[in-house]
Order: sequence, then structure tokens, then C-alpha cells
Amino acid sequence: MFGKRIDFAGALGFIAFMAALPLIFGGNYLIGVLTVSVIYGIWAVSWDFMSGLTGRENFGHSLFIGVGAYTAGFLNTTFGFSGWWSLPAAMVMAMVFALVIGVPTLRLKGPYFALAMLSGAVIMQRLMLIFWEQTGGEEGINGIEPLIRSQLGFYYFALAALVLVTALLLALARSHWGLILRAVRGDEATCQAAGINVTFYKIASLMISAAFAGAGGAIYAHYQLQVSPQLFAIVTSITIITMVYVGGMASIYGPVGGAILLVLLTELLRNFGEWRLMIYSCTLILILFFLPNGLIAPTWRRMKSMLAGRE
Amino acid sequence: MLEILIHGAVSSAIYAMLAVGFTLIFGVARILNLAHGSFYALGAYGAYFFTAQLKLPLLPAALLAIALVALFGVVVERVLVRPMRRSQLAVLMITLAVALVVEQVLFLTFGSEYRNVPAFVETKFTIGGVDVGGQRLLALGVSVTLIALLWIFIQRTRLGSAILAVSQDPEAANYMGIPSDRIFSIVMGLSAALAAAAGVLAGPFLTVQPTMWLLPIVKAFAIVIVGGLGSIPGSILAALMLGYAETIVGYLISTSWTEIVSVLATLLMLVFRPAGIFGKRAAF
Amino acid sequence: MKKFSILLSTVCVAVGLAAAPAIAQTTKPIRIGVPTAMQVQVGRDTQDAIKMAIEDINAKGGVLGRKLEMVVADETENPETGISAIKKLTADEKVDVLIGGYTSGVTLAQLPHISAAKTIYLGVGSASPAITAKVKQDYDNYKYIFRVGPIHSGHQARELTNFIGTFVKGELGISKIAIVGENAKWVQDLVPLLKKGAASAGVDVRVTEMFDAQTSDFSPLFAKVKESGAQYMIVILSHASSDVFAKQWHDARFPMPYGGIDVKSMDGDFCERVGGKSIGEMAANFAVRAPITPKTIPFFDEFRKRTKRSPVYTAFGANDSVYIYAEAVRRAKSTDPSAVIKELEKTSYVGIPGIIEFDEMHDVKPGTATFKGPAYLIAQWRDKCAREVVYPKTMRTAEFVYPAWIKK
Repeated sequence: MFGKRIDFAGALGFIAFMAALPLIFGGNYLIGVLTVSVIYGIWAVSWDFMSGLTGRENFGHSLFIGVGAYTAGFLNTTFGFSGWWSLPAAMVMAMVFALVIGVPTLRLKGPYFALAMLSGAVIMQRLMLIFWEQTGGEEGINGIEPLIRSQLGFYYFALAALVLVTALLLALARSHWGLILRAVRGDEATCQAAGINVTFYKIASLMISAAFAGAGGAIYAHYQLQVSPQLFAIVTSITIITMVYVGGMASIYGPVGGAILLVLLTELLRNFGEWRLMIYSCTLILILFFLPNGLIAPTWRRMKSMLAGRE
Repeated sequence: MLEILIHGAVSSAIYAMLAVGFTLIFGVARILNLAHGSFYALGAYGAYFFTAQLKLPLLPAALLAIALVALFGVVVERVLVRPMRRSQLAVLMITLAVALVVEQVLFLTFGSEYRNVPAFVETKFTIGGVDVGGQRLLALGVSVTLIALLWIFIQRTRLGSAILAVSQDPEAANYMGIPSDRIFSIVMGLSAALAAAAGVLAGPFLTVQPTMWLLPIVKAFAIVIVGGLGSIPGSILAALMLGYAETIVGYLISTSWTEIVSVLATLLMLVFRPAGIFGKRAAF
Repeated sequence: MKKFSILLSTVCVAVGLAAAPAIAQTTKPIRIGVPTAMQVQVGRDTQDAIKMAIEDINAKGGVLGRKLEMVVADETENPETGISAIKKLTADEKVDVLIGGYTSGVTLAQLPHISAAKTIYLGVGSASPAITAKVKQDYDNYKYIFRVGPIHSGHQARELTNFIGTFVKGELGISKIAIVGENAKWVQDLVPLLKKGAASAGVDVRVTEMFDAQTSDFSPLFAKVKESGAQYMIVILSHASSDVFAKQWHDARFPMPYGGIDVKSMDGDFCERVGGKSIGEMAANFAVRAPITPKTIPFFDEFRKRTKRSPVYTAFGANDSVYIYAEAVRRAKSTDPSAVIKELEKTSYVGIPGIIEFDEMHDVKPGTATFKGPAYLIAQWRDKCAREVVYPKTMRTAEFVYPAWIKK
């Protein structure tokens, strides 16, 4: 019980901190970086919910992101729908894709599932390039309208979305859903034997993960005001997995910190010019090597036990 | 069509070299080494560096490059991978980080532009009316030879049997007195050497740029899965299938469809026969 | 006496304090933001060229008494990084003007964010016409966008068509060609124009092939081209593996010459990089070390002296942009964007590739028979990696030579 109160206080503190940051430091640049990091947070959290809990690492998360983003792009530019329709539409499309690719591949284990999902994402990326006449090819779809014109307003909207998604997925993870998904990671055959419809839970969790990834994609499209095939790239999926790893797998809240940390790091290193990516990669190795359970979640757990220990 | 036959063979040979090394280290040590593409890149860059900057003749430069990359592979395994072996994902992530660092080192040292790896053979051959660069044929020949040598090594030598034993059951092998840790390092070195050799051979006619590690690793991954993780004959067969599939699509349809065909083939294989062609370990 | 000196010093201090902000104002440097792909030659040359111009202008007293300074931000070839580079430069570094650009996809993505920041942007590397189209469609929001170089791909298509008609057919007598290009959007827009133009010049386009920029094995492509019966291969390459293309073309002793738009081939050391295997290739260049304008040769020489490299096309635009902006600011007597834009529109500047003037879409005007704007030169790689201009005839420095293995 006490732990939950600390958790809640921690969450509130974090939200307040994130909300206050742009007010203290100001400037559209910081707001821009924070907004992008928050969107990555949504993607990271949605990945963790499915892959972190079940242990089935999805190397093609960018598929759902791209689908959501392009749906938003098409709806807005070709059909003229306002941005607010993009979000639900993106979620639906992403869920459809999750269903189509999930049903045949979710029975696969470990690296096989990872590769299948990766293949799915790569195929979509290729298709976007092959059908360049409809999709704008490498240049993608430009001229998407912003969802909210004010930079600060958009940031708060994205932050609110992140909080909502995280809270929702945390609740699910702590419910019997989470239990079943974690059990699947441990021993799927036993679960099946116990009468649990494992397939249903696996596909459903992939669809949920996809829905929020797609929603994040739509928000991204309406923020950057353009989408390109780079969203489907392997690099995108790998970046998100790294963020989850740094945040702490299966914690759901950890990836939020991981995402913000890594996006901020990439930007802060701009002063190093050509050395930026080198320092970033080396930092990554250090984190992965010395903190195999991640940075954010273990740190939080340690703080909690310290606080609990004191009282 | 002779064109397809020859060029398909060359592609398959390069893929086979990459895939065999990748499947070897996975089959034996359960390591999904995302830095495998980096070994390929370092092989090519090594050949470039030793010939262009140190002005060594080509053959010693190539052998030196391969040897150094093999050593690098062993170091990576010993220092970075071994402590993380408990978790497959951890190994994946750290080898990925190594790949990223190698890419940046190459970029900072050699710049982002393509580098010229000199070819062993500059002349052109015409086989049955088909023009083929000599270096491509050499790559084909050397790849086949190296893989054959590897196969013989594993089947006929004591070290080879030790490797097989460790791949089947590392703990049991340990009880029998086979130092599985040391075997892991040796296999990593072998795997890296194969990848580096592919880089040295293919560098003269394929891209040599700091980002050249990503595409080969994705292809190697796909081939190894299709062939069956841990199966060398499977990798060779799958490499042939992929190499020819790409070449056929490239010649008959269009080069922009080649990538999608190979990925689609992978996906379909995974859906219908996930253990791969000769998969020893079940996929589910 | 004492009272007077106190009064005097007080007055001096007061005057000094009042003047201080004014002095600070005039000595505050004018900041040039440079979004460019730092990891590529194009990016390095952009920065070096701008640095050259800045040092020259500062040595002569700066602009309106203010010095110029440069701030660089890496935009890579990824739109996401590009957008954040713009935000860093405009919102964080608060630059007065942006000079840079390379990949059209990234520039297009950056446009709405540049417009929101109300900062002037002088493009030096992206060729897509879509970039300046917005200036006419939505002047109030997009008037900040200018393109100093290169001439956009629509113009390039027209020039390439002229090359095909006048040179390939006219001088070499070849009437069967193949068109080969990477599938970037600007290429895809260009190809139909090329085909139409070729047809009207009486040239038969036997095959058109597009390939992925990541392709590293061109043998299927070459086989197709060879089978089609074409005798000349027109290429359109920008991000693709030009190096590998040249090497494979040479290794297979491909039985036809090739040429066209090959951005990487513009690099001074391209030929050496591929071990001399591009000898025989013809590529479009916007300037070479020849007296195109009085500024051309001095620029090439100074650039080589400083960097030991030969400049690529973004260097011309980047160097010219600094001077063009400086002159516009001087004429407007302020750095206020609206005032400077009006002066920029009136630009007529003798630049490195030609006289720079803007059309109604703020796009650099290409050269014509009567206007000496930036021209389109086709140069061929020759023995020992020297380069000679082969087209247009008026700028020719040497006659075309077939690659060594082709008997003609």
C-alpha cells in the first residue's frame, strides 16, 4: 500500500516537472525536443507493454508507428479530414495491421518473432518507396496540418497523451492481463494447459501495443507536419527498444524515462559536432554494460526502498 | 539464362560467407551477434587502410585485415559479450551498440565517402557471352573454398568436434573437459574472420562506407532463420535461395523489387515453416 | 573644480550608460545558421565555403558595422533530425538567416518550421521544385524561402534533354539510349520530362530503370540495359552508390559510355576514390575551374588553398549566399526579414557559377542564350583523373573521348 502511494507521488512529481520545464527554461527549441521525446515515450511504453511483459521482442514496432503516421498524413492531405479524426483512425489501422501480421507470427518464439516483425516493417517501407506516386516516395507526405497551433499547447497535449497511455497500460499490466502475459513469458505451454486462451491474450496485447504506437505516429505526423518512409526504418524500432532497455524492461513507466533521456542526450550532444553520434553510441555501451537492468526503473525502485526503509 | 546463373552464384557466395559465420556463433554460443556486419565492414576497410595508407601489397594486407578482425571478434566476445550471456536480449543490445560505435569510428577515421578497396583481379572475363568482373569470380571461388574448408574442419578435426559438442550441450561439454568458454571465443574469431574475408572479397565491387554493416546483417539474419538457426548446410542452402531469388527478380522484374522479395520470402518462410529448412531447434 | 569634475564624470557616465545599449546593438554579430549534412562532403564544403565568405566580409569591416558569425547544426539525411536542427538554430541560437540544405526530402520537411520561425532561408543544395513552389502558393508564409543553388531539377531535366538531343544524337550520332536513375522523387518527376524531350529529338529510349538508392549490385541493371540495344546510358544519381556504379561499369567493361546527373561525381576526388574507374564518365557540373565569371577561378583556387579539396556544388551556392545576404542587408539597412526579403528579390549578383537572380518563386534563374545565369556543364573524366568540359560546345575545353575498351 505504501509503495503505491510513493509511486503515485513519484508520478505526480514527474508530471509536474515535465510540465514546468518549458515554463522555466522556455524557448521553442526545448519545447520541440521535449515534445518529440514525449512521443517517443508513447512508442516506448506501448512496446514495453507487449514485448516487455511477454518477452517476445518485437523488432518491427516501426510498422505500427508508420502505419499510424501515414494514415494521419493521408487523411489530412488527401481527404482533408481534421487532425482529430487521425488519432482514432490511426489506432484502428494499426490494430488491423497488428491482427494481420500477429495471427501468423505470434506462435513464433524469440528471434523468429523478432525477425518476422522486422520483415513486416521493412516490407512496408519498401512499399512506400515503390508506390511513390501515391505515397510521395522518399519525400513522404508534406504539408500536414498541425493538431494544435501553439507549441506549448501541443506539448501539453502530447504530455497528457503520454500520461494517459502510461496510466492505462500500467493498470492493465498490474491486472490479470499483466499476470497472464508474464506467465506466457515464463511457460506458455503450462498456461495453455491451464485453460487460458493464450493466443487471444497475445494477439490482443499486440493490438493494444500497436494501437498506441499508431496513435503516437499520428500525433508525430501532426507535429512534424510531414511523414516519410524513414519512420518504418529498422533504426526507429531499434531506437525504441534501446529506450525501453535503458528505462527498464517490463516496468512500463521506465521506458518513459528512457525515451526522454535518450532524445535529450542526442540533442545535447549537438555541441560535439561530428563526434555526436560516437559519444552517443559509447554512452550506450556503457549503460548497457554496467546497467543490464536499465537505469530508470531500478533507480526508482532503489529510491522507493530507501524512502520506505527510512519510515 | 547464364547471366542469372553466374551473378546469382556470386551473390549467394557472399551471402553464404556472412550467414555461415552468423549461424556458427549462434548455433554454438547462442549469441545473436548484431556486430557481425561490422566485421564485414572492418574487413573491407582494413584492406583499404593497409593498401592505401600503409602501402602494403594486396594479399598480405587482406590476410592482415582478416586476422585483426578475428582478433577483434575474440576481444568483443571476451570483454563485452561474455558478462552478458545470461540474457539473449542483452547480448543483442550490446553487440548492436558495438556496431554503432564501429560505424562512428570508421566514419571519423575515414570519412563518409566511399573508399576504394583494390581488387585482386582487374581483368574482365567473358563466360558464354556474359561479362563478369574477375573479382566477382574470385569472390565466388574463395567463398566456396573457405566454406568447404570450414566444413571439413568441423567434421574432421578434434577442435571441430569440440565445437560441435559445445553447440549441442555446453554444460555437458564442460563436464567432459571441453572448455566451452574458450570454444566460444574461438568460434567468434572464426565467425569474424569469415565475415572479414567476405568484406575483403566483396569490397572492391560493393559499397564500402561506414554504414555498410546494416544491410548485410539483416540479410544474414534472414538467411540464417530460413536455413535454420545453427545449421551450416541450412545457411548455405538458404543463401543460395536468397541470392538467386534476388538476382532473378532483379533481372526479370526490376531492381527496386529485389529487397522486398527477399524480405517477403523470409516472412513467408517464418509463417509456414518457422524452424527453417534444417532447423535443429524448434521455433516455437 | 572638484564639483565640476564630479559633474563632468557623472555626465560622462550617464552618456556612456545611455550609449551602451546602442553600441551593444551595433556590435552584436549577425548570426548565420547552417543546417547541413555534416557527415557528408557536401556538408563540409558548405561550411568551408561560408567560412571563407564570412572571413572575407569581416576583414572588410563586416555588414553595417557588424561582424558575421556562423552556427552549424547537423540535419543528416533524416527529416526528424532536420526539423530539430532548424528549431535549434532559430529558437535556441536565434540566427538571423539560414544558409544550407542538401536532401530535398529534409528541406521539404523543414519548410513549415522555417516559416513558423520567420527566418530567411537560402537553399544551396536541394533541387526539388516543390521547395520554391510554396513561395508562390502562399507568399505571406513562405516568402522567407530562397534558392541560390542548384538550378532546380525541372531546369536540369530540360538541360539534360538538350544534351541528349544536341550532343548524344547530334554529335555522337547515337539514337538509342537507356535512362537509369535512383528512385528518389525528384528523379521520378524528371524522367517523364526526359523521355518526352528525347522522343521529340528523335532519340529512342530503349529502357528506363529505376533502382533503390541502397542498391550495391548493378549487374542486373547493366544486363537489362545491354539487352535493350541502347548505345548510351543516361544516369540520374544523387544519393545512390555512384562510386560502386562506376567501378562495376568499368569492371564489366560495359560496352557503352554513360553520363548525366551524378552528384557524387561532382566531387573533385571522385575519380581517385574509385581508383580511376570513372574515366570516360560524363557528369553534370554547375561550375568547374574555368573563367565562367570573374569570381570562378579565384574561388576554386582559394578553396583548394584552404581545404586542399576541390569544391562541390553546395560550396558555390553557400559562398554566394553569404555575399548576397550581406548586400541585401546593406541595402535594407537592417536585418529585419521583411525588409531584407524585398532587397533579396532585387538581387543581381555575379556569383561563382554565373549571375544570380531570382524569379518570382525566389528560385535562381538558369542561364539562357541572353542571360548569363548558372549554366549546365557536362564534364568528362579523363586520364590521370583530369576533367574536361565537353558540353555545351561554347564552353568546351576538349573533345569527347570514348572509354578505352569501346571501339568506335
